[in-house]
Amino acid sequence: MDIRENMEKKYHEALSTYLKDQNEQALYQGQKISRLHIKYNISPEEIISMHKNNLMELYPELPGKVLDSFDFLLEVMMGYGIAYREHQSLRHQQQELKTEIEIAANVQHTLLETEIPDIKALEIGAISVPARQMNGDYYHFVQDENERIGVGIADVIGKGIPAALCMSMIKYAMDSLPEHRHEPKSVLESLNRVVEHNVDPSMFITMFYGLYDPHDRQFSYASAGHEPGFYYDAATGAFSDLDAKGLLLGVDKKTRYRQYEKTVNRGDMIILLSDGVTECRTNDGFIERETLIGLIKKNMHLQAQEMVNNIYKQLEKMQNFQLRDDFTLIILKSNV
Amino acid sequence: MEFQSCVKIINEWDIVAARQLGRNVAKELGFGTVDQARITTAISELARNIYLYAGQGSVSIEKLNINGKSGLKIIAEDQGPGIEDIRRVMEDGYTTSGGLGAGLPGAKRLMDDFDIESIPGEGTKIIATKWLR
Amino acid sequence: MNITVDVNELNTEFNVKLKGEIDAYTAPKLRESLFPISEQENVSITIDLTEVSYMDSTGLGVFVGAFKSVRAHNGEFTLVGLSERLRRLFDITGLADIIDIKSGTEGGLE
Repeated sequence: MDIRENMEKKYHEALSTYLKDQNEQALYQGQKISRLHIKYNISPEEIISMHKNNLMELYPELPGKVLDSFDFLLEVMMGYGIAYREHQSLRHQQQELKTEIEIAANVQHTLLETEIPDIKALEIGAISVPARQMNGDYYHFVQDENERIGVGIADVIGKGIPAALCMSMIKYAMDSLPEHRHEPKSVLESLNRVVEHNVDPSMFITMFYGLYDPHDRQFSYASAGHEPGFYYDAATGAFSDLDAKGLLLGVDKKTRYRQYEKTVNRGDMIILLSDGVTECRTNDGFIERETLIGLIKKNMHLQAQEMVNNIYKQLEKMQNFQLRDDFTLIILKSNV
Repeated sequence: MEFQSCVKIINEWDIVAARQLGRNVAKELGFGTVDQARITTAISELARNIYLYAGQGSVSIEKLNINGKSGLKIIAEDQGPGIEDIRRVMEDGYTTSGGLGAGLPGAKRLMDDFDIESIPGEGTKIIATKWLR
Repeated sequence: MNITVDVNELNTEFNVKLKGEIDAYTAPKLRESLFPISEQENVSITIDLTEVSYMDSTGLGVFVGAFKSVRAHNGEFTLVGLSERLRRLFDITGLADIIDIKSGTEGGLE
């Protein structure tokens, strides 16, 4: 109990100094005591009792009514005392929750990890950064026995923990797709049925899936309502939208997806992104797709992974380091 | 059991009677003003809960002396609707909801021991103890 | 950031006017207002988005949910007064092909 005795002594000193001579110095002591009280969990009702005891000691001739008034005040402060204790305990719980979410985020990170394939024909760069601790974006690479590379990018509508939980399901659905079903349109059709069947009716997923075949340099792709990426044509030096039409996953289980084809020539680039990239809000409003193309051009001389890292850093800076939505950017650069 | 007395809680004034009883016993046992206020506030919360949600019940105060340690025990009993989800009622943040059981977490924090038993449809029994230091 | 939901009811016709921003914070309020209506049989809901200054994908989720529910209860669901930006969001997600959408100039509700 010596902390308490010590606090009482400090209170006594500061109060008697102040009563002797009403100066700012003593009031400053009072403020410091206030901080200590909070640190040592001394509740409002205890402070009032301390105050009353001090007054009785300092002014034994004080009218009884004045002293009684402190008993009344003490009673009035009880509610605040309870609120204060509740606050302490809620703060503790919040800390626990934060730790739990951090662990969950790590678990998610491990769950969703995907290995970036290493092939000569294609240079691949990918980055995915959650706005909060957990990511509602997801990207996935697979390489089949014919050296074909599948790339998927998905975004759950919504953010935070519910979105992240939902994404883990997509990952497992993808893993359980049979190897021969890696045609983009059939991938989306299978996943659409999984999402429609298993996910909360107000949760939807946008997804882009592409398949690159190094033997004929064909890139086939399909989109389920996903933010369109870009295609860079090295021969003309022009960027175009990688347009593909298709409905979000999870709206209608009978949805069919259209598959598109493109021949990828040497130096061409395929840029895939989530709406966290295009929904970057700067002081001047949303960034335009042209701004994004400008950034890509500026970093084009770099290796694909450095490109995505740099573009992310530059966009992060443009929006004052406040990410509003999960951010995912993938760049595929053809070397053949 | 050395001493026990009981107040029936039927209307709001009975809450005051229960507080008074608790304060008298707390004083007799030698609790300081702060603990007296804590004990009476806890009694208030429990009695109020009975008055508002159970219709009627009782609050008993007991003096304890176990192994030389003295304490005060509050027993609040009612034959009201009971509490379906005790865990939820005892959660922080529930205090502000104003619903059945609001104030129980507060009462728990003001006392040293707190025990609650409730059967939906039959009633609730809460035992709370404060030890003299 | 806030949203006001103004519902005008005439028999089975509901005209809903939204004003403000639709994001993760305001979406629950919007959902609470729309879902009870969307679960009635044979209703016709028209939602005016003329005065919606911002909407992120969370808002999209609310509208798709409401649309699915209306469709399951044999009703009609129309969105009007979409800005170009909003229109694009519905185009990209393929929702413009299944939801009845009238753009800004085609007129909001009087």
